[in-house]
Amino acid sequence: MKAPTDTFTQIGRALPRREDRRFLTGQGQYLDDMAIAGALHATFLRSPHAHARIVSIAIEAAAALPGVVKVVTGHDLAAWTTVLQMAPPIDGLAPTAMPAMPINKVRFQGDIVACVIARDRYLAEDAIEAIEVDYEILPAITDLPSAFAAGAALVDDAVPGNLLAHQSFAAGDVAGGMRAAHAIVESSFSQQRQTHLPLETRGCAAIWNDGRQHLTLHIGNQAPHPLRTQLARRLSLSESQVTVICPDVGGAFGQKIVLYREELIVAAMARHLRRPVRWREDRMENLQAACHAREATCRTRAAVAKDGRILALELDISEDFGAYSFFPGNYIARVVALILTGPYRISDYSYEIRVAMTNKCGAGPMRAPMAMTSWVMDGTLDAIARRLGIDRLAVRQINMLQPGEFPYTMATGEVVDDITPTQTLAAVAESIDYAGLAARRKEAETRARFRGIGLCSVVESTTYGSRFYKEAGIAGSGHEAAWVRIEPSGAVNASVGLMGAGQGYETSLAQAVAEGLGVDAEVVRINLGNTDVSPYGMGTRGARGATAGGGALYLCARKAQDQVLRIAAHLLALNSAVDLRLTGAKVQRLIDGAWSETGVALADVARISYLDPTALPEGIPPGLDFSLTYDPPPMTYSNSAHACEVEVDPQTGRIEILRYVVAEDCGTVLNPIVVAGQQRGAIAMGLSGSLLEQVYYDESGQNLSSTLADYLVATACELPNFEILPMHTPNRRTPVGIKGMAEGGVMGAIGALTSAVNDALAPFGVTADKLPLTPPYIRSLLRGRI
Amino acid sequence: MSDSVRITLSVNGSGHVVDVTPRRLLSDVLREDLGLTGTHVGCEHGVCGACTILIDGRPARACITFAIQMERHEVTTIEAVARDDVYSPLQQAMHEEHGLQCGFCTPGIIMTFEAYLRDNPDPSETDIRDVLSGNLCRCTGYQGIVAAVVKAAADLRRRP
Repeated sequence: MKAPTDTFTQIGRALPRREDRRFLTGQGQYLDDMAIAGALHATFLRSPHAHARIVSIAIEAAAALPGVVKVVTGHDLAAWTTVLQMAPPIDGLAPTAMPAMPINKVRFQGDIVACVIARDRYLAEDAIEAIEVDYEILPAITDLPSAFAAGAALVDDAVPGNLLAHQSFAAGDVAGGMRAAHAIVESSFSQQRQTHLPLETRGCAAIWNDGRQHLTLHIGNQAPHPLRTQLARRLSLSESQVTVICPDVGGAFGQKIVLYREELIVAAMARHLRRPVRWREDRMENLQAACHAREATCRTRAAVAKDGRILALELDISEDFGAYSFFPGNYIARVVALILTGPYRISDYSYEIRVAMTNKCGAGPMRAPMAMTSWVMDGTLDAIARRLGIDRLAVRQINMLQPGEFPYTMATGEVVDDITPTQTLAAVAESIDYAGLAARRKEAETRARFRGIGLCSVVESTTYGSRFYKEAGIAGSGHEAAWVRIEPSGAVNASVGLMGAGQGYETSLAQAVAEGLGVDAEVVRINLGNTDVSPYGMGTRGARGATAGGGALYLCARKAQDQVLRIAAHLLALNSAVDLRLTGAKVQRLIDGAWSETGVALADVARISYLDPTALPEGIPPGLDFSLTYDPPPMTYSNSAHACEVEVDPQTGRIEILRYVVAEDCGTVLNPIVVAGQQRGAIAMGLSGSLLEQVYYDESGQNLSSTLADYLVATACELPNFEILPMHTPNRRTPVGIKGMAEGGVMGAIGALTSAVNDALAPFGVTADKLPLTPPYIRSLLRGRI
Repeated sequence: MSDSVRITLSVNGSGHVVDVTPRRLLSDVLREDLGLTGTHVGCEHGVCGACTILIDGRPARACITFAIQMERHEVTTIEAVARDDVYSPLQQAMHEEHGLQCGFCTPGIIMTFEAYLRDNPDPSETDIRDVLSGNLCRCTGYQGIVAAVVKAAADLRRRP
């Protein structure tokens, strides 16, 4: 297949990142690097109990300490802020409400009890120690069985039975498929609680300008405009009274989307005290109280024919959402259920979702909210292969959608098109030498090691259009907004409503603008993360940046080029601009099939537009200032196949990853360097989560993983080099064929690694169905079998 | 709390007189008193490595060091690595090999390997991964960083 990038000059360039210079030299400006004269420091007193009634809080001793300016509790904040209502009209979703700070009871260990504002952070932390709280301890709900037990204590008094969301769906004839089956294969998949762990913790700085009655919040956030909407609403301010400014962001991964309570409190305090207030979360707070993710169990029942074909599939998801609902409780589980069948031909399908509230930190989306999807689907296929004694690659191939079957409508109504599951799977199977595994396995056994290959095919939902939100019942949009300005000198500024946290937007989005306009990417500056500068967009989440943001910028830049060429045609005394193009900031004309220079440059057009507008053709306004909004298709998909080879040492339970290969078809890429970085980073996050990461709560709801010595993430020693096989089938429904990417790597890594480990463990007749795959867990599976 | 003490810090070859309470962390003094914000604080318990600086030429965690301990020691931070506006070979290689994304862990990694490569001019990839395991990166999967260190080592070996 011809690479679509052949026709582009700026999109697809391997341009090294322009943001690197400041980061490499220590000149990045992250939130805590900002000097703010006179800023006070906020620190939070947090609950030592998982579930307790607040009987009384004595703040007097703390308030009297030197350097302490103010100590506040939930009662104070209730007067200055409104309550967050989480009650979208979604079937089966219990409405919830959340004040800025708990007033009557705390719901998890780490929940907020009081806030100290002091002259510096050291003094604020001293004062926290001096606050006395009398608690009446309540029973802690720490897992799904206790959440759903009859008569269980309620985490949220407004949520009966702790059942936050309950949804079900069926398409086709699942019961008929079950009746006709040669076998029914049941599998279980338990994913542990994890957290995002951005290297930069949360934090913010709020400045209230009393003379102007205006609030500025500096905060590292992925979606500054929706954040501003929330902040204004909860402080009863107009959106024109609030500016959100994002400095450099030290990683986010989904943890920096919503307005958290701490941030709202800091803003309210700055307004109340009429002084700047700043907050830097420490790592213990980040691990205990920022946002958790992923804790869910999926069970599948697959009705299969003798040859491994799936006749019908049932999915049951139960998810532990924690104590607070910053996102609709059904949202994450629903996406898993919606796209489970991904690259496979399964028309008879049903699912049921139950989401519980527990006395743990609230959960939210983490890079690939639907992370476990591909593990559950390909893990089900592995179970079918084991049960029927057929080859694991063959069972995938027989169920997989073939090139002639697209566009394909999944049982859930989702439409996939322009994806290449058979090609990517074949590519990785060949690259990793699936056929030659037997010989390598034999050699490993001579060393008492057990080898396995894992395979996982991914269909990644990337960019959600506004129609998706409408159908999901969520108030919101998937559109993105952009502006492009050509300045009087011909320099180019542009902006979009995204905010990056390491994705290289200042380089890759400049390439989208440059392509659309007809200049080199080097002359385009991308301005992000200031709500007074950027247009109102939906921010960076999912894998929408390139499709929605890049698409909006490209289309806006095309609009700019059209006007530039109309002006150029006028200057060249031509009747029309049809035979003109802008390239390298110079206007060229097609004469006898060849492009030749006209002598008119973008700078000439810019000068006239700003300094001599009466020379413009009739109907063309002065200036070169363009804006545009773009709503992507309801959903775009990219796909990939992952393969990895592992060796397991049954004596220690250690897993060594020997090779990791991925073929990812993410369509047109803006910048291959940036895309490769996203692929590696996503796979690394998936492997780290599968091997090591776990938020541990004990039975009383104490978080036992509150330091980086307890919450383990992969270091350079646990991860392999990743071999990337490029594939680029453009999406025919997006502006330049972009599909979006950056989360599928997580999905594929979980599935491929688990599949490989289970392949290696097959001689022992055991299957790992829980994550993480720690040495003690592997040893526990093998106990008594070696 | 306890009273301030006047100390002299030698940072990146310059002397600075600062008043610090004994409990004040070196990372806070570098960032807040001296304005050297390139040293990042990621965990405040010495695990993540983002705050790695050099004390007398050897890597150390600024977040678990008290500023008051630093009298008569030479501290080097990320701000001193590029000379005359020119990247060090490691900085150049990190740029070329896409060894950074959000950039928060980057200064700590550069400081670790500026020191390591001085003493170990020809490390294997395994050696590099072993040393790098003291610095956490959540964005890159480490591959670009490892490639950058390999490239920088080769570049340094070619230099006189």
